[in-house]
Amino acid sequence: MPWSRFDSNYEAPAGDRDLTFVAAIREAIDQAMGLDPRVFALGLDADDKFGVFGSMLSLSHPERVLGTPISENAMTGVALGAALCGLRPIHVHLRNDFLLVAMDQIVNYVAKWEDMYDRQVRVPLVIRSIIGRGWGCGAQHSQSLHGLFAQVPGLKVVMPATPYDAKGLLLSAIKDDSPVVFLEHRWLYKNTGSVPEAMYTIPLGKGQRLHQGSSLTVVATSLAAIHALVACDSQQLDVDLIDPRTLKPLDSELILESVGRTGRLLVVDYDFPFGGFAAEVCALVAERALDRLRLPPQRLCFPDRGMPASGPLERAYYPTPERIGAVMQRMIAGAPVGETLVS
Amino acid sequence: MAKPTLKRADGLWLLARMRLIRHASERIAALYPSNVMETPVHLCIGQEAVPVGLCRHLHDDDKLFLGHRTHGPALAKGLPLEQLMAELYGRTTGCSHSYGGSMHLLDLAHGLPGSSAIVGGSIALGVGAALAAKLSGAPFIAVSYFGDAATNAGVFYESMNFAVLRALPVLFLCEDNGLSNVMRKSAHSCHDITSVAAQFMPTLLADGTDVLSVHQQAGVAVQRLRNGEGPQFLHCKTRRWMKHQGPEACDLGDPIDRQRDCPIHKLEALLRRSRLCKAAELAQIQADVERQIDAAIAFAERSPFPVPPLAEV
Repeated sequence: MPWSRFDSNYEAPAGDRDLTFVAAIREAIDQAMGLDPRVFALGLDADDKFGVFGSMLSLSHPERVLGTPISENAMTGVALGAALCGLRPIHVHLRNDFLLVAMDQIVNYVAKWEDMYDRQVRVPLVIRSIIGRGWGCGAQHSQSLHGLFAQVPGLKVVMPATPYDAKGLLLSAIKDDSPVVFLEHRWLYKNTGSVPEAMYTIPLGKGQRLHQGSSLTVVATSLAAIHALVACDSQQLDVDLIDPRTLKPLDSELILESVGRTGRLLVVDYDFPFGGFAAEVCALVAERALDRLRLPPQRLCFPDRGMPASGPLERAYYPTPERIGAVMQRMIAGAPVGETLVS
Repeated sequence: MAKPTLKRADGLWLLARMRLIRHASERIAALYPSNVMETPVHLCIGQEAVPVGLCRHLHDDDKLFLGHRTHGPALAKGLPLEQLMAELYGRTTGCSHSYGGSMHLLDLAHGLPGSSAIVGGSIALGVGAALAAKLSGAPFIAVSYFGDAATNAGVFYESMNFAVLRALPVLFLCEDNGLSNVMRKSAHSCHDITSVAAQFMPTLLADGTDVLSVHQQAGVAVQRLRNGEGPQFLHCKTRRWMKHQGPEACDLGDPIDRQRDCPIHKLEALLRRSRLCKAAELAQIQADVERQIDAAIAFAERSPFPVPPLAEV
């Protein structure tokens, strides 16, 4: 198999080449297609002149990029059928909200197929989707819903925060023989960072520490991780910032080790609060490290209602680095908050 | 439609495969009340002509995607009976290693990449298999096999549309038994299935209680697919003799005439009349099938159950 040729897991960015997040995604897809003729991409507007916000522009194998009708449910089944017959599809969606149209196929089919047949067949399928936010996009163009996908057995859920992680994790997702839901925040697309030109993979299920500290553990992924990092840096906070990078499988040990040292936990999760990823992390710590906690664990999430469109309401709805920093400071000062924090 | 002609080898194959499905289904129905099979069974007694007439034209490498009424088409495609029985008995030797049950059958060696219990969705998987064939240049074709009720689902239209846009080698086969669980077609569909499909692709119609009719029309459709002529639709009207699920006879719709509506009876009568085979050969087929069923049940009964707990993935 061609994928064994570059099975090197870089621990940290190497080299001095900077790429944007979106260019890192594009490079991963381009290199995967170049390496393996079984890799192809399909999706609504996948082959148009915008190239999915630039993430699939000018690929070396345009014949393996298929635009599809607005038929997300059937197209997910088509991707699954192709995966069962020897190909490695990347099914791309411009918004996470559109995935809900395909939930029958994603939850009943894609996620279950390997289990139903005792893994005699594998499903090497990547579902790429992009999270929107702001500019009045409103309640049906701004959802993340990663907690919903992570709840379903049979789906891996990946949310990169940096360009380096975006490339390495996407290559891991394409290389993986099982379904992976790969969620990219649109607001990260212009961020830059060091990205090696060579192909590399980052193991799914291995988190990283974005900021070193000892007074408070903060767990956050994707844009929330970057916002938390900005808060740490700008306010010089003694925070241990953990980015799990993959929600499922979850790097539980990294989180537990950190909480064991800091005794305080804040989960910043850009998703709805009820039954979500933040609740899962709090449950993990409560079950396995309750005796190490000096404060009740805390969640900072979206309000439990749909996104408003109007600018003032929208700006008040979303957490920001400033707001995250303020919560961190309160917790470091030892003040229990006692309720889920929403904007 | 030209009058179907029949070769002796085809006739014997079609009869043997239909009898295998019929008698295995009857044995399942007889055993089912004793609770040895802890899985819902959607039997296809009376509908055997459709999968058998189709599968005579399919190679092992051709992909067949099924819904919940799996047993007949899976056996027609080549799934070994002992693997089906062991799956129904919940044993590790079943085709899905006991993880699937009656509605989720797999046999990669015979082009069965899996079946689904959510009506309609597996239509899209057949289209995806055809896309894989086209993109990779592989010579196989795909069949999406579904019932009349699935034509009410959006995925049916989405799948036909994409298959035609991409000119994929996929056969849409509608096994129309006129019932959606306990609803008659007149209550669940206002559309005419063939007319709807004809908006998308060439359609063929077959008498789904007559294996020669299905065999002929499926032959036309499959040949067109192998010629690269794009998606084809085959509508087979048949009768469901049993309830939607379980071992009891159907009590809906017009009464079944077990001679007139029986595909096995029709074929045997023709084979006798045309002197294509002797009465002793017909009896031999039946005896062979019964022996196969006995052996398959014995295999299932002596196979081990899986041992909990579930392995961590």
